[in-house]
Amino acid sequence: MKFLLLPLTVLILLVTPFSAYAKTFNAQSTTLENGLRLIVIPNSRAPVVTHMIWYKVGAADEPPTKSGMAHYFEHLMFKGTETLSPGEFSRIVKGLGGNDNAFTGQDYTAYYQNIAKQHLEKMMSMEADRMINLKISEEDFISEKNVVTEERRQRTDNKPKSLFMEQMRDALFTNHPYGTPVIGWMNEIESYNWEAVKGFYDTWYAPNNAVVIISGDVTMEDVKPMAMRTYGALEPKDLPQRKRGKIPPAISETKITLFDETIKQPSYQSLRLAPSSHQSKQESLALQILNEILSGGPTTRLYKNLVVDNKRATSVNFSYQSSALDHGKIFVSAIPHEGISLDEIENDIQNEFNHVIKNGVTETEVKEAIQRLQDSAIFARDSVSGPANIIGFNLLTGSTLNDIENWPTDIATVTPAQVQDVAKKYLNAEAPYIKPPVKGYLFPTNTKEASKTDKKGAIQ
Amino acid sequence: MRIFFPILCVLLLISAPTKASEELLDIKKVTSPSGINAWLVEDHKLPIISIQFSFKGAGSVNLTEDKQGLSQLLSNTLDEGAGEYSSQEFQKKLSDKSISLSFNSGRDNFGGTLKFLAREKKSAVELLNLALNEPRFDKEPVQRMVDANINRIKSSQGNPNWINARLYNDRAYEGHPYAFNSGGTIISLQNITPQDLKDFKNSHLTKDRLVIGASGDITAEDLGVLIDTIFGSLPDTTPPSKIKQLTLQNLGKTYVYKRDIPQSIITIGLDSIDELHPDYYTLQILNHIFGASGFGSRLMSEAREKRGLTYGIYSSTTNNEYLDALTISTSTQNETVAEMLQIIKDEMKKIKTDDLTQDIKKAKDYIIGSLPLSFTNNDSIASILLSLQLRNRDINYLNQYHEKIMTVSAEDVSRLAEELLTPEKMITIITGTPKNLENTLLITEVPNVE
Repeated sequence: MKFLLLPLTVLILLVTPFSAYAKTFNAQSTTLENGLRLIVIPNSRAPVVTHMIWYKVGAADEPPTKSGMAHYFEHLMFKGTETLSPGEFSRIVKGLGGNDNAFTGQDYTAYYQNIAKQHLEKMMSMEADRMINLKISEEDFISEKNVVTEERRQRTDNKPKSLFMEQMRDALFTNHPYGTPVIGWMNEIESYNWEAVKGFYDTWYAPNNAVVIISGDVTMEDVKPMAMRTYGALEPKDLPQRKRGKIPPAISETKITLFDETIKQPSYQSLRLAPSSHQSKQESLALQILNEILSGGPTTRLYKNLVVDNKRATSVNFSYQSSALDHGKIFVSAIPHEGISLDEIENDIQNEFNHVIKNGVTETEVKEAIQRLQDSAIFARDSVSGPANIIGFNLLTGSTLNDIENWPTDIATVTPAQVQDVAKKYLNAEAPYIKPPVKGYLFPTNTKEASKTDKKGAIQ
Repeated sequence: MRIFFPILCVLLLISAPTKASEELLDIKKVTSPSGINAWLVEDHKLPIISIQFSFKGAGSVNLTEDKQGLSQLLSNTLDEGAGEYSSQEFQKKLSDKSISLSFNSGRDNFGGTLKFLAREKKSAVELLNLALNEPRFDKEPVQRMVDANINRIKSSQGNPNWINARLYNDRAYEGHPYAFNSGGTIISLQNITPQDLKDFKNSHLTKDRLVIGASGDITAEDLGVLIDTIFGSLPDTTPPSKIKQLTLQNLGKTYVYKRDIPQSIITIGLDSIDELHPDYYTLQILNHIFGASGFGSRLMSEAREKRGLTYGIYSSTTNNEYLDALTISTSTQNETVAEMLQIIKDEMKKIKTDDLTQDIKKAKDYIIGSLPLSFTNNDSIASILLSLQLRNRDINYLNQYHEKIMTVSAEDVSRLAEELLTPEKMITIITGTPKNLENTLLITEVPNVE
């Protein structure tokens, strides 16, 4: 909208699977003849539905020099069809008492409406319409480009820390599209032309490349006939393969430093590769438990040891992002306590990792982590839109519906030995996985002189 | 940032009415054995209970300049050790039982939320009871929370939206306690002692101010018992406060805080009416049409959809205990700030003279039709129940609201627009490097941060 929800930093912080998964949504699933997948999650709490359509295309599928186009295209989807004028889609939804929006990630683009259930079929028919009948005027094409450049300024260019994170991701994902920001690079956003954008739409927007998820006060019995009347009429297309580059192994460490006058305290961060759930399910489950044991709350290892007991940091965070078609990743950040340097806090954190690598974790820690994660799955059911998002997000990053439904059982199979193994494999400073982590150091400008003697000035 | 969006959300929630004929939300009034009231929506589909409570009038507005941030710090430390439990023991217990307990401090009110699985009711009640009645405020966790707040402030200084919100509060509320930084300053936070926290808690978290909303897997009878266990031994009353009403200050002025960023952040304030005013319902419609509804609002259509000047522009109403205001917030690249301000003024003019019949119909359809969207989970329902009570609404308010909204006429909206949307009486705050602006006042430092 609309929103480019989930620039990756936010994704890491907010959409980690731990708080989001659920035990069982009792979702019902079917596939229409034209290849469109339909999923229904019955929930009778209120007479409303969330209707979402997820396309299996995202920023990572953009052609070279067209960064941000998947997201820009998502904006254009609100700009009218053969039968709807620009903005009319959202105005109709509002007029029926609903809300709508959309978001784009590296692996998916999704559109949704929350609305009273009697309007569901209308929503489906409008989504089916804009899947094939989009019609954009030259004027809207240009004005929306300005909206997106303003969006980029608001999200990224106005905030040095956001620019910094963008650079860190770029440095990590060598030869892979996850290094390119979902919103795109400014100079490429400015250069889009309609032919390329239209080509993107014609290539990827098709019923056999979409998953429709409906959560709320309906059942598959209610919904399937509606889906057949609306989406069912659309022709499938031949879809290209989704081709992404491979990250080559690297031997040298990448360190990025920024001095900025709006930064008021030094901070440390690192970003490293890890397998996604799609790449290695059981390892991913073990990494989720490791994440919980290291950083699942104020009484878990990193916070307890570094912030509470030893006063080395005033904040510390470790988060593993498991959901991605290709690589997952681990983001670590810390603000050192007064008198502690970034080098020192970096070492402290690595020492915590080394402790797990050498000594493992306890039975009790694993048991407690499993319990907390299983409970979080119960809480996740207390929502209409939440389960639709969780299922969409995970399906579109390569999990199966069974993986999602059985997550609380699967997570309970993780053993302390598996946790130690993934720590050895993915947090080992001596033998990094694929390539050494990218490390970032943020400093207030006025510390620049002082840090010249410091060894971490190297720009990547 | 903080001041705008949460308020907008709350308004969307509580401004949603219902059709009188439909019983969408079955609200029960519960009175505990000792006489404490709560509103409850009982629902046993999931084994989850969500309770939200607030001490009305116990917010940061009570604080003096040198103790800014005290109520914020209280909200951070009540759950950092209580009774027999040290900070780590207390947090471990919450975490082992998957109990979410948190406190929040607003300008007007001090509140909390408790959410738990039915099987952990006993522990949840015990922990909240201890937090409210026997908090320890041990030196280590208090210092740790001061440090965390200082982190937050320093980190926010890199966010121009936060800077602009801070400046808006400082200038628009000048001379009133609302102008202080409710999150504290780097210095004031370090001046707060455990004794200050105890004193504030004892004098402000009292039963006469308590409001409770609950939703989920609990019966009225059980809720009554639970409430007495948790809140029954709090002090009865608070002495009346002497805080004065406020209208927006520095109207007619445009302030600029220079920052080397490509996009300017803009916040505009206008005086408005309170919630008991007969035009309150008209205001909901006017605000919706003007800028609150996002896509399709007049501001969004003109500034974003037609001209591509911004990613977003919103108006919202603020109804605080001592202040009522209408705010407009947006951002645009430095080169187009002057054009943006002109558009906002032009839209104010247009809405007064245009025929609004269609807009009003759509606004009513949305406001009425979107009601059930807020009734989809326990947190949201508990929060609505709390809001209604904090605003002294009747338990049937949602039903009556529908009729009140329906009676608003085009004349009402035009008349109220004439009264409130006054370009010559706006306070405008801009952070960035706006181009081509005249008659601006330069702000050189952001007060109440360091």
